[in-house]
Amino acid sequence: MPPESAIESHHFEALGTSCSLFSVGRPYDRLMEGELCVRRLGARFTRFSAESELSRLNASAGRWIAIGEEMEAMLRDALRAYEKSGGLVNIAVLGSMMAAGYTRPLSQGPTVAVLESARPLPALPDVLQVRDGGARLHPRAGLDLGGVAKGWMADRLCAWLGPNVLANLGGDLMARGDGPGCDGWPVGLGGVTVMLRDQGAATSSVRRRKWGAMHHLIDPRSGLPARTGVEEVSVVAATSFEAEVVAKTALLLGREAAPTYCAAHALAWWLGGSRDD
Amino acid sequence: MRALFLKAGATAITVVATVASALYVSSHLKNPSAPLQPSVLNANGNGSAVTALGGTVTVGPSVRPGNTQPVTSTYAS
Repeated sequence: MPPESAIESHHFEALGTSCSLFSVGRPYDRLMEGELCVRRLGARFTRFSAESELSRLNASAGRWIAIGEEMEAMLRDALRAYEKSGGLVNIAVLGSMMAAGYTRPLSQGPTVAVLESARPLPALPDVLQVRDGGARLHPRAGLDLGGVAKGWMADRLCAWLGPNVLANLGGDLMARGDGPGCDGWPVGLGGVTVMLRDQGAATSSVRRRKWGAMHHLIDPRSGLPARTGVEEVSVVAATSFEAEVVAKTALLLGREAAPTYCAAHALAWWLGGSRDD
Repeated sequence: MRALFLKAGATAITVVATVASALYVSSHLKNPSAPLQPSVLNANGNGSAVTALGGTVTVGPSVRPGNTQPVTSTYAS
């Protein structure tokens, strides 16, 4: 077995969570630049800033507006995720988030839930159109990228950072290259270690970002916080974004279908703590 | 007469081949040694299962379990 190479690492808080970047054979400065990338993308994708690119789209009242290359790619991938998940991964979730009381960063506390105003989510392709350099959102629809943006950013960041790197943005991670020992990057999943090489992992859960009986994971079929009998799913897939989509879909499918769905779409998976609902 | 005999023979061969094929296919719905198994048909037997805290980790053939300390983990945030 070849000797392990030294790992550079950089840890920081961004996107409302903890982020870690690791590299083999790249200078520490590169990881610092990676943090700047995360902050720059986060500032464009957040719904909590009125000046963000996402907030401009949410406030565009049904008009076509110009968007940047990264937002366009993000929205196109979100539409693909909608198709791939049979509609269960739907970023047109802002109204339900607001109804559940998730109106501002949870570090500032939730607001009162008004679930009577929650409705099943609209089909994403019916309310969101994307063209080269532009997007149009139905005036009564709103987008929240929180459920998919971290995985998407981890994939992009890894491609940018270098050939042997790992980016972990709040648990959504992408491992690129052979890792420190040339046998993959050792990553914890459900309490065991798996060696990832050009693979991503993500966890979807209703145990975090939770307040009272509410939590952040919305079931698009009801528009309400999901209660499917599965509390947490961790998945390994070809990319972090794909892992996030598969994990969220499996959680929303519930206990009966989740194992079969994971067997068909994940490279490794952990189903945690199902309960009766 | 000869043409009628040939037609009857061809018909008989066709019927026998159809019935035999149907019987074979219906009794061999899934070949366990086939190289391309749809993983959804094999949900419980695909990969190795490792019992972990609060659940079971299932690891498919393209992911290798490790025995070193992880540098980081996937988790809910």
